[in-house]
Amino acid sequence: MAGQSNPDLSVFSAPEVEFLAEDEMVEIVPNIRMEALNMICGDYGPFFPQIASKVPLWLAVALKKRGKCTIRTPEWMSVERLTQVLEAERESPREFQPLPFHYVEISRLLFDHAHDDIPDLYMARSLIEDIRDVRFHKVETGLETISGRTHAVKLKNLSAMEVNIVRPFMVRALQAFYKHDSPHLIQQPRAMGSRQPQVVDRGPRRDLRPR
Amino acid sequence: MPGYYDIDDIIMEEESISVVFQVGAHGVGLLDPGSETNSVEKGAKVDLPFWLAHELYLRQAVSISVPACFSQKTRKEIQADAACVHLRIRCPYFYELGCKIVPLVSDKSIGSFLHYAFTHRYKEILSKSHSASVATVPKFLTRLTKEESQLFEAARSSMLAFKKWRLGGSRLEKASILSRKRKTTMPTCPSTP
Repeated sequence: MAGQSNPDLSVFSAPEVEFLAEDEMVEIVPNIRMEALNMICGDYGPFFPQIASKVPLWLAVALKKRGKCTIRTPEWMSVERLTQVLEAERESPREFQPLPFHYVEISRLLFDHAHDDIPDLYMARSLIEDIRDVRFHKVETGLETISGRTHAVKLKNLSAMEVNIVRPFMVRALQAFYKHDSPHLIQQPRAMGSRQPQVVDRGPRRDLRPR
Repeated sequence: MPGYYDIDDIIMEEESISVVFQVGAHGVGLLDPGSETNSVEKGAKVDLPFWLAHELYLRQAVSISVPACFSQKTRKEIQADAACVHLRIRCPYFYELGCKIVPLVSDKSIGSFLHYAFTHRYKEILSKSHSASVATVPKFLTRLTKEESQLFEAARSSMLAFKKWRLGGSRLEKASILSRKRKTTMPTCPSTP
């Protein structure tokens, strides 16, 4: 699956990533009575007032815009959980904390459309910003370790938007390093003979983050 | 690998490099501006574009000397402080030309020199690209070669796109064709009543 905005680079634009994030399920509390909705992607409802129900984010936002429901803030977006995550992110400089794959997009959509449903809106917003900054800084320091010997980069728990930001740079950097490190270019002036067999193994695989 | 239609690959092959003719060539006097007859003498030193020099090299008509951008002087500068060297002035297609020229010249250290230069300049690009501000183009951008500035732009544009998205704005962008249509219908509106 590739983004549609730039067919050459096969990258997603930020709105495309947001679109993908809208399929994540959230819990809503409707304040109306409504028949079940039969969509191509599934059947949701029926909805009864004050009875919580799980729907995709796009449906939740659409209902919310019409004032037909309140969106329940996901458990990971509570201030306590975010504070814990932020502390853990700061304490472990080489690991990413598990967060929902689309946490950046979901949180932005909720902050934009359901700000009256989120307790401690400002706190939660600034915590998410901080978490994102800390994580991105880690990505950058990790990118510094890329060298000609890097074949693959393992980024555990990195979220969709974070990957999307570094993807163009990382792909280009890896390609450039691969090109400049190819054995055709770097020949040992003296040791090309039988003494040193042609190195097929291009060094150990280096992870950007330890597993 | 560069594709057939890769414009950078095509432009790169225009870089002129200096060659020494191993054979005398008749009827190609225009290649050598200093030549008085319509031929190039054996042993004449001529600047040719890379694509021509490459083909002549394959026919063993010329020998290629190492271009100035891979000279000892440049190497010393790169070793002193890789990030500060103005490589774009030397050769905008420094790495591409380097990669292509390695099999053609006797100096085999160019490959490792390219790798060294890129590894050290990469750190500088990395540290500045994602944090680059929106409006101003950093000064060091003019020092980068084509490949490096593409790398820099890749990071900067993706970060800018993300920041734009985060600040919000309309989620649905109007297609340009729609706004154009509306403009043309506008003048007719006042006339209808």
